[in-house]
Amino acid sequence: KFHSELSQDISLLLNDTDDYNVIIQTGEGKNSREFRAHSIILKIRSPYFKNLSTKWVVQKNNMIEIKKPNIRPTVFEIILKYIYTGEVNLTKRPGADILGLLIATDELLLEKLFRHVLNH
Amino acid sequence: MSSRKQPKGKIRPPKKPNSADAQFNDNWDRLAQAIREIHKKNASILSFEELYRNAYNMVLHKNGDKLYNGVREVITQHLEEVAVSQVVPAFPLSGASSSQTNPNGAGGANFLKVLKTVWEDHTTCMLMIRDILMYMDRVYAKTANVPLVYDLGLDLFRDTIVRSQNYPIQNHLLEVLLQQIKLERENEIIDRTNVKASIDMLLELTDASTKDTVYATDFENKFLETSSEYYRVEGQMLVGEYDAPEYMKKVDKRLNEEEQRVRHYLSQTTEPKIRNIVEEELISKHLKTVIEMENSGLIPMLRNEKMDDLGRMYKLFGRVVKGHDEMKSAISDYIRELGKAINETVTSNTTAEGGNAASGDKQTGATVAVRWVQEVLDLKDKFDKVQNLALSNDKAFQTSFNEAFEYFINKNSKSPEFISLFIDDNLKKGLKGKTEEEVDSVLDKTITLFRFIGEKDVFERYYKQHLAKRLLLGRSVSDDAERGMIGKLKVECGYQFTTKLEGMFNDMRISSDTMTDFKEYLDKSVLEKPKLDLSVTVLTSTFWPMNLSASPRCNLPPELTKACGTFQNFYLGRHSGRRLTWQSNMGTADIRGSFKARKHELNVSTYQMVILLMFNDKQDGESLSYEQIKGESDIPEADLKRNLQSLACAKYKILVKEPKGKEINPGDQFNFNNDFTAPLQRIKIQTVASKVESEGERKETREKVEEARKHQTEAAIVRIMKDRKTMEHNLLIAEVVKQLQSRFMPNPALIKKRIEALIEREYLERATGDRRVYNYLA
Repeated sequence: KFHSELSQDISLLLNDTDDYNVIIQTGEGKNSREFRAHSIILKIRSPYFKNLSTKWVVQKNNMIEIKKPNIRPTVFEIILKYIYTGEVNLTKRPGADILGLLIATDELLLEKLFRHVLNH
Repeated sequence: MSSRKQPKGKIRPPKKPNSADAQFNDNWDRLAQAIREIHKKNASILSFEELYRNAYNMVLHKNGDKLYNGVREVITQHLEEVAVSQVVPAFPLSGASSSQTNPNGAGGANFLKVLKTVWEDHTTCMLMIRDILMYMDRVYAKTANVPLVYDLGLDLFRDTIVRSQNYPIQNHLLEVLLQQIKLERENEIIDRTNVKASIDMLLELTDASTKDTVYATDFENKFLETSSEYYRVEGQMLVGEYDAPEYMKKVDKRLNEEEQRVRHYLSQTTEPKIRNIVEEELISKHLKTVIEMENSGLIPMLRNEKMDDLGRMYKLFGRVVKGHDEMKSAISDYIRELGKAINETVTSNTTAEGGNAASGDKQTGATVAVRWVQEVLDLKDKFDKVQNLALSNDKAFQTSFNEAFEYFINKNSKSPEFISLFIDDNLKKGLKGKTEEEVDSVLDKTITLFRFIGEKDVFERYYKQHLAKRLLLGRSVSDDAERGMIGKLKVECGYQFTTKLEGMFNDMRISSDTMTDFKEYLDKSVLEKPKLDLSVTVLTSTFWPMNLSASPRCNLPPELTKACGTFQNFYLGRHSGRRLTWQSNMGTADIRGSFKARKHELNVSTYQMVILLMFNDKQDGESLSYEQIKGESDIPEADLKRNLQSLACAKYKILVKEPKGKEINPGDQFNFNNDFTAPLQRIKIQTVASKVESEGERKETREKVEEARKHQTEAAIVRIMKDRKTMEHNLLIAEVVKQLQSRFMPNPALIKKRIEALIEREYLERATGDRRVYNYLA
């Protein structure tokens, strides 16, 4: 089995955002940040993003735009890393992030991660 | 999109604060409005993330039930509107009250088209609604044990549109569907996509109480009922208007159409049901009618060898329970009928010829037999062909055909003799120029007839007689052919059946060796050589069909007697303890006759030779009376008459009879015919003999057979009892029947008589306790 190698390689996708086709806006005002991602990865990892292929998708310049102002960038970063690599590291995270993560994973129907955070 | 009062810092799930109602109303208004926009196909102005979050918040704040019910209400409302504004206006003109439909069903088709659109819109909207309510489905619906929102949408559609309480949508829908199908059955082109859309819709909807599809609860039964009725009427119409082959083609076509229909736009579960209906209405109900159709039914098909039609009938009728049984019994009856006709031509022929059988037309008897067998074989061929080409070699049919053949073949009591004669005809030399292969294949077929004979022992008796004649008169076409035939019989009946026949062959071979030895013996011996060439065939009496007890008498001429003596000495010198009996009725002789015109070599029977030699001592013109010949020769009367007939009344008249006539009577006078002429130098005098047995002979054969059966039955009883020692009456009878049935069918009365005879002779006794039980006495 080469699972660790697989998740390592896929995590490269997260940083090397060449073929990205999704832009996710998180946070509000100064505290906002854009993430780039790949719809196929999002789709297979989360039922929430599964709907990206339906009529709900908003596209601008061939980019899918998703707005999640209620999720803080620091929280979404953890989620995105989990989606791409299956890895979560909650140590040294401020309590606000942990709480935000708990709410966000519930909303985004990331059940496993939700339970993991709950146990933390 | 823009931020409203965001929960941000104050998010504290699942606990919820004060202004809950206001927030709920606000959230709900947005959602309800959004769903309406979705229904209006305005979704592009909506934000998925936002709506999702609205619903999410409502569920999070324990308002799942309000949300759920609200959604239900909005959707119901929308569907009510759709019913009024779209579906009802599309009702076909004729209305539900009238069965009179517009001729091309355009109104109906349009109605289906509208429904299709409505349905598609609904499902599309429901998918979008499901997306934004995903959190509700996941979190609320599961715990509250209510249907997921998409399924809720289906239920609402079912109750608001398809089974609307306010509008007769359901009636129209079902009527239009059935009407479309009817139109298609009547060769109209319909738009299958619209029908299929409605059917698929019904298949997707579930009936709440039965948990079955609405298709099954609302549509299928109606469809099957109308189909039954449709095909009931059509069946009656078709039977009246078409002949059997056409009828079957129509049915075939219908079955095919219905199968296609199911495949194209109905549910697969309907396939066996509609098939059953067509089979019931078009096949089962008209089985007999079609089979018995005059000039085109099953029998005419057989008569004209319509293999395609027969094959179609076989396939078609095989679909229903009684189908093949009806066919089988009809064909079997037909075979019996044809068989009866064949049997009747034979009996009418033989009785017609019975009067002049003695007149010397010796061929007819055999011809009748050969023709009978040939006709039966032709019949067999015909039905083998039917079996092969039309009935897929169905074993059940084969069995019933065989029974029919067996039945009528055994109805003709002469069949064992006829079949033996037929074989005789094919194994005899110089006939018809058939090749060996042809003869072999004919004999193979004959064996199939032989199988049908119940009285195989009677056949064996005739076969022995005919074989004996072929062997002794040297008329067999070849040893190989004879042995081939015996081989076939052996395969059928086992070696016991053929040991005697093989014994006959052995006798022929041994005799030929014996004759070589005899010639050597004569050459070496000092004895006076006989004045004639003697050729003797020594036959083992138990193998050959001879009547030893009544060994034929005959006064042979002295030269011959002397020669016989010489041979007898030679033979008995080699084989002491044997007894030779001269069968003068079976021999032949070559003699030379001097007539006025020329000399002829005559090939005659031993009896004829004896008769002719008497005239050697007579002056020209001196006659011998019948009584004189009889007294002097001592030839049995029947043989004497027949041989005299051959000499004086047949083709070559070596003797002249006074008075003229075809029959030999006491008091007749015979003269040597000095004026005899014939183109050939060598003449064969055929002995007049009816080849088919006369009634008297038949009776005699019958008696012999009965006698043999008694012995065989007793032998079987003793064999069984010796093995079992003690046995109950019925079991013993059953066992005896089992052992004997390959030869003949013994009747229980006969067996019982034999048991009694054996008790009398103290082979068996009745058990002291139980009179129904026998003991074997060693």
